[in-house]
Amino acid sequence: MQNTVPQPLRFPVAVADILRQRQTLKSELAKQANLVQTRMAILGGSTTAEVKSMLELFLLAQGIQPTFYESGYNRYWDDVVCENPVLWNFRPDIVFVHTTWHNVSQFPEPLAPAVEVDGCVRREMTRFESVWGRLHSKLGALIIQNNFDLPRLRPLGNLEASESFGRINYLLRLNAEFANYARDHSHFLINDILYLSAQLGLAAWFDPGYWYNFHMALSPGATVALARNVAAIVKSVYGKSKKCLVLDLDNTLWGGTIGDDGLQNLLLGRDHPLGEAFVNFQQYVRELRRRGVILAVCSKNDAENAKEGFSHPDSALKLEDFSAFKANWDPKPDNLRRIAEELNIGLDSIVFVDDSPAERAIVRDELPDVAVPEVGSDVSSFADILENERYFETHKLVPDDLSRSAYYSSKARGSAHETSFGSYGDFLASLQMVAEIGAFTPVYLERITQLINKTNQFNLTTRRYTSSEVEAISGDSAFITLYGRLADKFGDNGLVSVLIGRISNDTVEIDIWLMSCRVLKREMELAMLDALVEECQVRGIRKITGVYIPSKKNSVVAGHYASLGFNRADGTSANSELWHYTVLPSYSPKSRYIRRTADAFVALS
Amino acid sequence: MTSADFLLQMDEILGLRAGTIQGFEKLDELENWDSLALISFIALAQSHSGVSTSPQQIVSCSTVADLLRIARVDVATSPTQVAKSRQSESV
Repeated sequence: MQNTVPQPLRFPVAVADILRQRQTLKSELAKQANLVQTRMAILGGSTTAEVKSMLELFLLAQGIQPTFYESGYNRYWDDVVCENPVLWNFRPDIVFVHTTWHNVSQFPEPLAPAVEVDGCVRREMTRFESVWGRLHSKLGALIIQNNFDLPRLRPLGNLEASESFGRINYLLRLNAEFANYARDHSHFLINDILYLSAQLGLAAWFDPGYWYNFHMALSPGATVALARNVAAIVKSVYGKSKKCLVLDLDNTLWGGTIGDDGLQNLLLGRDHPLGEAFVNFQQYVRELRRRGVILAVCSKNDAENAKEGFSHPDSALKLEDFSAFKANWDPKPDNLRRIAEELNIGLDSIVFVDDSPAERAIVRDELPDVAVPEVGSDVSSFADILENERYFETHKLVPDDLSRSAYYSSKARGSAHETSFGSYGDFLASLQMVAEIGAFTPVYLERITQLINKTNQFNLTTRRYTSSEVEAISGDSAFITLYGRLADKFGDNGLVSVLIGRISNDTVEIDIWLMSCRVLKREMELAMLDALVEECQVRGIRKITGVYIPSKKNSVVAGHYASLGFNRADGTSANSELWHYTVLPSYSPKSRYIRRTADAFVALS
Repeated sequence: MTSADFLLQMDEILGLRAGTIQGFEKLDELENWDSLALISFIALAQSHSGVSTSPQQIVSCSTVADLLRIARVDVATSPTQVAKSRQSESV
């Protein structure tokens, strides 16, 4: 539960407390239920003992329990290129390469010509790419790689930044090359220590005492910041980032009380320091929405008054930015529950921001799954606090993310549309749904991987795969893979369903079957089954088996296989149910309201 | 923070049962005394007395008494007296 993360590990992190209490904190966190297991290799260009210790704490705080492999001192290159059997046998899910500017093999000489500097860049990149390429091709692990921080000393002074042979200029150029590599390789992620070191300040980032005595490239405080950042990346990979930001209104999004002060007296706008702070906070929230965070309002106000606030000329947020809007006099925990239900998301996907300490306390007390940052009452720090808590961390942005808010808004319109029909079937027919269902293709692999790692409710097995594993499965003829995109007359829902089946003789065993909650009760699962049966018939497969592994969140699919006409198999264990289905030549498609097409989006245009 | 509390916090840093460290041990005989514990000790010293110690200072220590002196933990009290006071507290 969000609110049970020990205080020293929450923003602002108490470095001294963490260092003193690390053993106790670790023991406490390790007792959590349902920890996700991961195998992580730390390959160091310097001493990594403190990195490993801090990473363990912050991963546990995210509900992830790591098993570590740690390379010898500065053996990051050797361990990989020489294929250290201990590392190879460890089979990590994730490899974290902890290098810093100290690991640059050669800086250009002063006054080196451009062609020579280019050569240095090329050689450095070749050296790192030899590590990354081997990690991917031989281990298939997700790679998290530090970019480069900056040295504290500048023998060339400001010329370090402006001359191509200057060390700062050179390191920034290498960072750009690293970023290019990340853009081209979905299994490769950057841990931005350039930003972290700037945030902390170089004097606090690097401590000569720790370097000379222990060859720690980062001070203890910097190590905490680094571990927190890497844990946030891993949290995102495992689908644990939050989805929805719920906001109060008065003195949270604008200064003043709309009901009492009226629109014209709200503090919002750049002609007043506080008004400007509120505008800037709204702009930050709007940027979150633009990258896919769902926004909702939970305010104690008359609804009409509350909505009026967004017509203020300086309001950066508009009413249509919000996918759910609860303005009434009900207790806020009740409204938060309604918002979660309306958006079909878990309470643990929600972050609640309110300037009132009383409201924050009530929500924390009644809804421990909701994240409630201690934002205080000073709006100028709200964005910093949200930012530093890393709630909405994402490691990849896919087009579906950008349309998520629009989807939820269109869903609201759809809900209104539904109430005008006599029967649910008439409603489904009126949606004019079209689906694009096919085998995995490279263009969809990122979104498919995202769904596999984020979907909890409509998920029969809750198995998680890295992007490398998904890529391998998609190219393996021993698997049947299906993705499903769904569009309707209100818009494109995007890629919403994933199915992976492992072929074994004349049987396909469903390994993963999941669906985004965006399209529950649309009979998309029937369309996916139709496609699976069709594929089985083409390949001469006669039987489909599926397993349902109950989890805390997937009770919604407990009856999934039964509803599709599967039969329960004997010998099912206490922790899973095995179901089977015979593929008959006489199979008749079950989907009634979804038309299949080659391109769902084009079909609707 | 009393010297007894300080020693208890050292027990926690080293993952030892409370009351293990008495104040007169040699560091190389302490279980789990490693670079991680040293870093944690520096944080403990800072919070106890505001003393900013360097890794070099800690590396040069060989006993717990040396650490207590650097952290300015009631140096007028001998380790033996500290041990006796902890025994009487536990009665």
